[in-house]
Amino acid sequence: MDIVLSHKIASVAELAGHDDRAWHVAWNPSKPLLATCSADKSVRLYSYTVDPSPRFSLHTSIPTGHTKTVRGIAWSPSGSTLATASFDANIGIWKREGQDENDEEAAREWECVSILEGHETECKSVAWSCSGTLLASCSRDKTVWVWEAQPDADFECMGVLMEHTQDVKYVAWHPTEEILASASYDDTIKLYLDDPSEDWFCFSTLTGHSSTVWSLAWSPNGQYLASASDDCTIRIWKRITKHEWECVLVLEDHERTVYAITWGPGKPGTTQTGGESLGWLASTGGDGRINVWAFEEHPDSTQKSPPKHTLIARLENAHGVSDVNSIAWCPRTGYEDLIATVGDDGVAKIWKVVSA
Amino acid sequence: MTFSGALTLTDLNDYITPSQACIKPVEQSNAPKARTPGDATTEIQIDASGAYYEVGQGTTSRDSNGGGSTQKLQTADISLTDCLACSGCITSAESVLITLQSHTEVLSVLAANPSPGSPGHRVPVLSIAPQSIASLAAALAGPGPSGTPPIPLAHMLNRVRAFATHTLGFAHVFDTTFAREIVLREHVREFFERKERSGSSSGSNGGGALPMLSSACPGWVCYAEKTHGEMLPFIATTKSPQQVMGTLVKEWLAPHYWDKHPDEVYHVTVMPCYDKKLEASRSDFYNEQYATRDVDCVLTTGELLLLAQEHGIDLSLPVPNEDISLSSTSTSTSVTPVLPDLLSPPGSSSGSYLHSLMLAVAHTYPHPLTLESKAIRSADYVEHTLRDASSGSPVFRGATCYGFRNLQNVVRRVGRAAGVQVGRGAAGRLAGGLRNNNRAGAATGGATAAYDYVEVMACPGGCVGGGGQLRAPERKAVSNTNHDAEGFVRDWTADGVQPSASASNISSSQEDPNTVRAAGTAEAPWSSRAWTREVERAYWGAAHQAPAEYEPKPKHSLPTPPASPKPRDGGGVGIDAGEGGLGAELPAPECRDRAKGGAAVSRRWFSSGADDQGAGLSIVVESLVARVTRELCAPVRVRQRQEEEGVGFGSADTWVDEMSEVRRRGLFRTQYRVVESEVVGLGVKW
Repeated sequence: MDIVLSHKIASVAELAGHDDRAWHVAWNPSKPLLATCSADKSVRLYSYTVDPSPRFSLHTSIPTGHTKTVRGIAWSPSGSTLATASFDANIGIWKREGQDENDEEAAREWECVSILEGHETECKSVAWSCSGTLLASCSRDKTVWVWEAQPDADFECMGVLMEHTQDVKYVAWHPTEEILASASYDDTIKLYLDDPSEDWFCFSTLTGHSSTVWSLAWSPNGQYLASASDDCTIRIWKRITKHEWECVLVLEDHERTVYAITWGPGKPGTTQTGGESLGWLASTGGDGRINVWAFEEHPDSTQKSPPKHTLIARLENAHGVSDVNSIAWCPRTGYEDLIATVGDDGVAKIWKVVSA
Repeated sequence: MTFSGALTLTDLNDYITPSQACIKPVEQSNAPKARTPGDATTEIQIDASGAYYEVGQGTTSRDSNGGGSTQKLQTADISLTDCLACSGCITSAESVLITLQSHTEVLSVLAANPSPGSPGHRVPVLSIAPQSIASLAAALAGPGPSGTPPIPLAHMLNRVRAFATHTLGFAHVFDTTFAREIVLREHVREFFERKERSGSSSGSNGGGALPMLSSACPGWVCYAEKTHGEMLPFIATTKSPQQVMGTLVKEWLAPHYWDKHPDEVYHVTVMPCYDKKLEASRSDFYNEQYATRDVDCVLTTGELLLLAQEHGIDLSLPVPNEDISLSSTSTSTSVTPVLPDLLSPPGSSSGSYLHSLMLAVAHTYPHPLTLESKAIRSADYVEHTLRDASSGSPVFRGATCYGFRNLQNVVRRVGRAAGVQVGRGAAGRLAGGLRNNNRAGAATGGATAAYDYVEVMACPGGCVGGGGQLRAPERKAVSNTNHDAEGFVRDWTADGVQPSASASNISSSQEDPNTVRAAGTAEAPWSSRAWTREVERAYWGAAHQAPAEYEPKPKHSLPTPPASPKPRDGGGVGIDAGEGGLGAELPAPECRDRAKGGAAVSRRWFSSGADDQGAGLSIVVESLVARVTRELCAPVRVRQRQEEEGVGFGSADTWVDEMSEVRRRGLFRTQYRVVESEVVGLGVKW
């Protein structure tokens, strides 16, 4: 373990409050809000200020009304809508009550404006497309559903994708295109597109992991997809052609299941060799470790060459002995070095990646 | 390495894969004795006869009994119906059905059947769905993507008839379209009953509400029973054509004309759909008195073809006189009614339920109507609105909705408009927090107005694209699939040929990656859609190759049509090309124009003057329907009086009185039940 890294991971805040394990964490893309969800069926929203240094405080706790664990959460790109995925097989859609955001009291009230039913069993993950018009959800029932947002908080089912042979763990939309990726207990990743004249369909199945794929993260430029697996590895898939993705890199720096990954732009000016920065990838999992890699495109990159990657920071036992279930980079400009994690201890933690 | 202390029951659902709760937990009638404190464990022992015993290992009660109490455990009794009603068991419903409702079962029953006249002989009867005939007609038409016209349905039916009678020994071979004609009439009747009820007492939403949802698709009915119990009051109680055919064969033809009891007939149907096996197995369609089912065995189209292949019969080859419409192969006396072949009312290839209803509405409405049709993104979801031609106000709103995805949206929309709670328990709580501002739905009018009727089918493309249909021939498919003896691309598992395969996909997560990959690439979605359109084309017959005319304007006037079925027969009585031909594809909707709901299209559903050729046939059908109604539904004493007085056939309506109404309902209606899927008495919280 005696490796010298260029950065270290410093604790910024610890936010306790969930009565049971915390499953997922999501930063609001446009407002200073952080959401966490838990087996205690609640969603907690934290607001934060960044001047002079990041300070977090509880904004509100939503008791959701889901009858089972809230397993996944996702903010719409506009930041105005929150989606919750629950083990009660439903997806909840939440909006802030009242139009006046300056009304402090009303701003703390979130209401369920829609429920998306259809999954037969536990929903595991939910994700908004880059435009915010499409929502994807997945479940233990082995299906991935694509929904389209309609006026009046209505949603229409656009597709039911029954491609996986097992529990689907995670869904993630491409950052700029309407490409959907799903990860499953069947060890595969599937990629989907909308056929304009027909339905959504799976155009590619990525195989390589030898166990459950738990999480996915697209690179900010959309040319790479990272996957985290129970086989303790992270695989990096590169876009070879428009509809073709190949594994170009396997990262083996975890000792137990990798439950979560996140790929953010990283701090500017941190590339090592002057290539185009591909951002920072952070991973965590059952070993309680947080790894942070800096990725950059090789200056002499070929079609199938792997990106250059450097482990820049590592932290052990991020949540003590507890598993870490989710990790997410802060999307706020200027604060791309902030990460949030949640774990089985029910605590949300905020970290900053700083030069060593 | 040990598990962290946090590994609790919460995790179970994330780590254990296949099973859900069985709906049939064993209920111990011999109640276990109260446990003494500290009496912690029990063991299960099996005796020589295979019976299971629970043996108490009470450490404190090890007394004269010699080792605690022994209790024989009850054997769980799970019937096929239980299995079919459940989604949780390890045993897949399909694999159970394959043994009980397979083509080998048909063969063994036929082989064991004593010769006619012997005691115990059962008259074997085959009824085939028009969609199955269309699938055969398309798949067996020969090579060439679209050049070769499909085999005319009448020819195909006669080939099946020849094979089934000469080779297999069936006494009668029917298609199910006459039964469907009865269904359509009953359907219309039920709709107006519901409409009257909903108009008179708007407050009560008991049995029989609007919108009425179609009931012919067992996949949809079963799905609603399992997961959308709140939809059941909306589903028509009219039986499906298969089950009405079962009633006609066993309750009408057998006792009235073949001098047989229902259990002396072995009734096999050929259907485009696996779930029809499930439908036939419902307890509602079991005759307690004679211990027989209305439909004894259901084969899929694929299984029928397999049966033919195993007997060395090539159904792609013509048979003598196949162009002559034999309306029945019955060799018995001429008083036996002759069921007309291949009645094909204009509308959808899934049974024309919506269309027949719209015709009836147009028929009863005092003023001319216009029809406005709008595809919602694809031809699988089309809204139809009948408007008063002069005032423009909507008179009837309906939709055809095919495929699981569209079905979801209809469930959401119907639930919202009718103000019923969609979905299961959990949602109730959540929706309690929903504010009313978005929910006013029902009264808003415009595009979100409530439907009066929805023709729901679970398969994309409707029944012609059913799961039991033949796969596209090789030319249409991508590589990596199996080919059968004739070069057809076949998914053998889906066709029910390999029962073991359906069990194997449950077990492990470590599937052969090749299998997974093959499954991902074998059936490209556009090719299966294209194939469904081919079958659709075959269904409507070669005369309808040319797409139906599309009016550039969304509206045109609607003549009041005669509500008579039209014949389709490869020979003389062909349907009028281009007029009523609803088989052709809709124009591709504006795909990206999603918010606007696709392009408005309009088709000539209501043809004027197109029924001239069918007039003779419609008289035949009319009198046959009257005969069924009279002979099955009329009170016995009335029938006797009629016979004594020598009164001829009246129209069906003159026979409706209270008793016959009850009898008719008993014969042509059914019911639905919510299937509980929650584990009873197990307080798991996660």
